[in-house]
Amino acid sequence: MVGNDIVDFDETRRSSNWERRGFLQKIFTTNEQLIIDMSSDPNATVWHLWSMKESAYKVFIQAGGNRFFDPTKIECLIDSSQKGRAKINTTTFWTKTSINSKYVFSTALLNNIDIDTRIFRLNQKSSKYQSDFMHQQVIQDFAERNSLNSSEISVHKNKKGVPIIYYKNKSQNKSLSITHHGNYGAYSIIKN
Amino acid sequence: MSDKEQMIDELKSIVKPYIQDEKAFENMHEDTDFINDLKINSANLIDVILDIEDKYDIQLDNESMDKMLNIKAALEVINTKISEK
Repeated sequence: MVGNDIVDFDETRRSSNWERRGFLQKIFTTNEQLIIDMSSDPNATVWHLWSMKESAYKVFIQAGGNRFFDPTKIECLIDSSQKGRAKINTTTFWTKTSINSKYVFSTALLNNIDIDTRIFRLNQKSSKYQSDFMHQQVIQDFAERNSLNSSEISVHKNKKGVPIIYYKNKSQNKSLSITHHGNYGAYSIIKN
Repeated sequence: MSDKEQMIDELKSIVKPYIQDEKAFENMHEDTDFINDLKINSANLIDVILDIEDKYDIQLDNESMDKMLNIKAALEVINTKISEK
């Protein structure tokens, strides 16, 4: 199973102020707050850890875990600029992060499997547009990769909000994760 | 207006800056889910929590915050915290 999350730095500057009193304490464990304090780029580190948490949470939900909202229940460790671990209860999720001046993007996995990821620049901000756009991309790419007719493929979210790929109305049992924020969107899918 | 209706109204003005689904916001009721219905992004949900703390002068620990997935649960948590003051 795969989970992903993208954070557009420009968008966070518009919509979030992590320096607001009490904000970091609500999201990060004592240890994570220390990582942020010691970082040479606290802003990037805040959103790096955030995207790790979100991507791990998405795998947790896909795996049948119950919804929760307390972000401090997910404990993150950054092992290198790219690799990290996120722990929920006793389960460890392995994360990979890429970061540049525009965005930070993380994926989380339960075990070492190959995934395909594509990142897009999105021209419109509406949540509906972005969601539809990403679904269309997933459908097109899935059709191409598997030599299928794209009109017979669809993507729908299940009750838990997890996107599922269908071919001829049959679930394809292929873990998929979709994320969009600000001007960026991405999907990650388990490779064949 | 009952106390509950008044509180739902107050919550409405708190969440307004962060919602991404106008229709769900207009029809906001007890079972409205912050994330699934109002499409509030999770970082902004932290702002909602902090705004609630400021508005009612209460402290929401992570355990209570964890329950606040919809309006009904939020009202319950807020009322409990106010009664403990």
